[in-house]
Amino acid sequence: MNDQLALLPGYLTAHLQLTLVALFLGAGVSIPLGVAVTRRHRLEGPVLGTAGVVQTIPSLALLAIMVPALAGLASLGIAVRSIGYLPAIIALTLYSVLPILRNTVTGIRGVDAALLEAADGVGMTPGERLRRVELPLAMPVIVAGLRTATVWVVGTATLSTPVGATSLGNFIFTGLQTRNEAAILTGCVAAAGLAVLLDQLIRLVESGLRERRRRRVAAASAVLGLLVAYAGWAALPVAGGGRTITIGSKTFTEQYILSEVLAQWVEAGTGRETRAVQSLGNTVLLDAVVAGDLDVIVDYSGTIWAEHMGRKTLPGREQVLAGATRWLEEEKGLTVVGGLGFQNTYALGMRRAQADALGVRTVSDLAAHASTLSIGADYVFFERAEWTALQQTYGLAFASQRSMDPALMYEAVAAGDVDVISAYSTDGRIAALDLVMLEDDRGVIPPYDAMIIVSARLAREAPDAVAALRRLVGRIDESRMQRMNFSVDDGGLTPAEVARRFLAAEVER
Amino acid sequence: MIVLEQLSKRYRETIAVEGISLRIGRGECVFLVGGSGCGKTTTLKMINRLVEPDRGRVWIDGCDHRSTPPHELRRRIGYGFQQVGLFPHLTVGENIAITPDLLGWPAARQRARAAELLEMVELPPGEFASRATSALSGGQRQRVGLARALAAEPEVLLLDEPFGALDPLTRDRLQRRFQEIRTRLGLTVVFVSHDMSEALLLADRIAVMHEGRLLQVGTPRELLTAPSHPAVAELLATPKRQSEVVDGLLGIRA
Repeated sequence: MNDQLALLPGYLTAHLQLTLVALFLGAGVSIPLGVAVTRRHRLEGPVLGTAGVVQTIPSLALLAIMVPALAGLASLGIAVRSIGYLPAIIALTLYSVLPILRNTVTGIRGVDAALLEAADGVGMTPGERLRRVELPLAMPVIVAGLRTATVWVVGTATLSTPVGATSLGNFIFTGLQTRNEAAILTGCVAAAGLAVLLDQLIRLVESGLRERRRRRVAAASAVLGLLVAYAGWAALPVAGGGRTITIGSKTFTEQYILSEVLAQWVEAGTGRETRAVQSLGNTVLLDAVVAGDLDVIVDYSGTIWAEHMGRKTLPGREQVLAGATRWLEEEKGLTVVGGLGFQNTYALGMRRAQADALGVRTVSDLAAHASTLSIGADYVFFERAEWTALQQTYGLAFASQRSMDPALMYEAVAAGDVDVISAYSTDGRIAALDLVMLEDDRGVIPPYDAMIIVSARLAREAPDAVAALRRLVGRIDESRMQRMNFSVDDGGLTPAEVARRFLAAEVER
Repeated sequence: MIVLEQLSKRYRETIAVEGISLRIGRGECVFLVGGSGCGKTTTLKMINRLVEPDRGRVWIDGCDHRSTPPHELRRRIGYGFQQVGLFPHLTVGENIAITPDLLGWPAARQRARAAELLEMVELPPGEFASRATSALSGGQRQRVGLARALAAEPEVLLLDEPFGALDPLTRDRLQRRFQEIRTRLGLTVVFVSHDMSEALLLADRIAVMHEGRLLQVGTPRELLTAPSHPAVAELLATPKRQSEVVDGLLGIRA
């Protein structure tokens, strides 16, 4: 719990920054837009319709879609970063528009016609009528919209972790992946607390203005102002500091550990400052290192080969590694430092007892029983080429298949909720839960060598960091990776602690 | 002086006002009366451009009123209507001083003017100036509405049923108060009412409207003695009969 609390100030500050900026931008767009809609009735349908459509996009999808959209802009030569703060801010701002916009329109429309007649009758210009009568009277409704948006944005901002923006979502995403309930709880409580705090502060300002309670307005505004000032101050770059080397990770335990290992390793070896940017989406990661938004990632040769290069054929392990390396360096301009020394392949896994009872050792054996069995796999497995290859080569046809979070997959098979899973070969839970990995006897699953990949910019600007990374090549074999994974998944250690132990062990060697 | 010249207004196919011409002298109080939908409110609102006429012109002191921007015109013309439209987010005093505020009067002068007008409509300023409008009774609201219309010292006052929906006693008191104020300040007033008794009591002249047209314009006595149209006679029948009943009860022979 204490480790989690140590992370809280940083995550909370980042979350506050995301939320406040998105809300300011959202209100800055929505309120004038809402006013414009009430002046020109023809605008109402298109504007509210568009905002409504944006709102129906699931929030995670809206965040995710910003990454390729910004990458597209970047490829047109516009200097934007496709991951991190920017996509999160844009998506959250869009998300805050509808409630504020709709309430602005409703609030202004709701002003009594007699008051509008009186406003005109006493000689107000249209602008004076808006400022002195319509907006003040619509304010409680507009503020209600702002409060709705606040609660939504604070909640949705937790989903900006996979697009690379640090938030309280980091607790939740890493907590879910590493079975760390303390982390999940910290993230949830902090996000809920922040939502309630901001909501109540805005409510106090509004009710104070309405009831003309100067002191209440002053106190609540002061607290809000302090929060804004603090968020702004924290966003200022620290003067004199060198550039921080960023190391990305996907959303599973092994990636968290490796990002920490690489970060600590480079920091120890070069004295440069490093930062692990965790829980990024699968495809976000490679795009980000190509764009130079990340400096270092670990990806797998088979993933590059099948997903990014789109190859359907499957030569041997060495050829895949060499092909992927060549493609990354020649097509993408990246530097491949080398393999870490293990592969993390997909492997079909079953409970040992069930495999023994059915007499299943290989995938070919499994094919005969598949029609009575169910399979569970991570989110991408059923979309991947190896699944197609497995189905076609072995004639696998399961009674049912479902996608689930990788962290839950192992428990699901151990509990008998599913019979077969798409296990990862380096996962420590295979041994711990007494699962067997079925042999891919016809060799259709590609090799997945873990490769250290470095951005062109880092290779150019920090050759010492690249040299330090080169010393890690071949240092982690499969069983070592399994042990490290297991000490997080089941041993209650954090990825950072595991990384510290790894470094300590390496220093002794 | 206000001159209405061939004013017409249509809403889609419906004729609201058709070819109204009328002269209202300085310091005169002219009532526009008639049944619902006769066009009296539309005519009134065309004077301060709350409604823009389709055809015809309005001259105020010799100037075409379209030569002045609507908001400037309205700041010079007091306007009061039945719903009053007091701004709920402002105090009674702020409501009264709204037009002076728009005209940029200094705050102290605004407050003094609001207090003066509250006195005039018999609401003690000490008690009412800083009150919320929600704490007023119906009669008090209409008095504040009248005070607001008078705030910027207009020479012309347009009133649309300002004493509607009040109990008879309050109404009577307000009518008499209004009469005093108007004569004291020498106001030119155009007053819309559907109540013929009110018109007979307060008007210098009465303009009777029917289906968007003027039927007859004359002093109360002229209308009573020589109605030019059956519809005018009909409008006058009720107050006449009422006064005959009262006279009869008091033993007076007409």
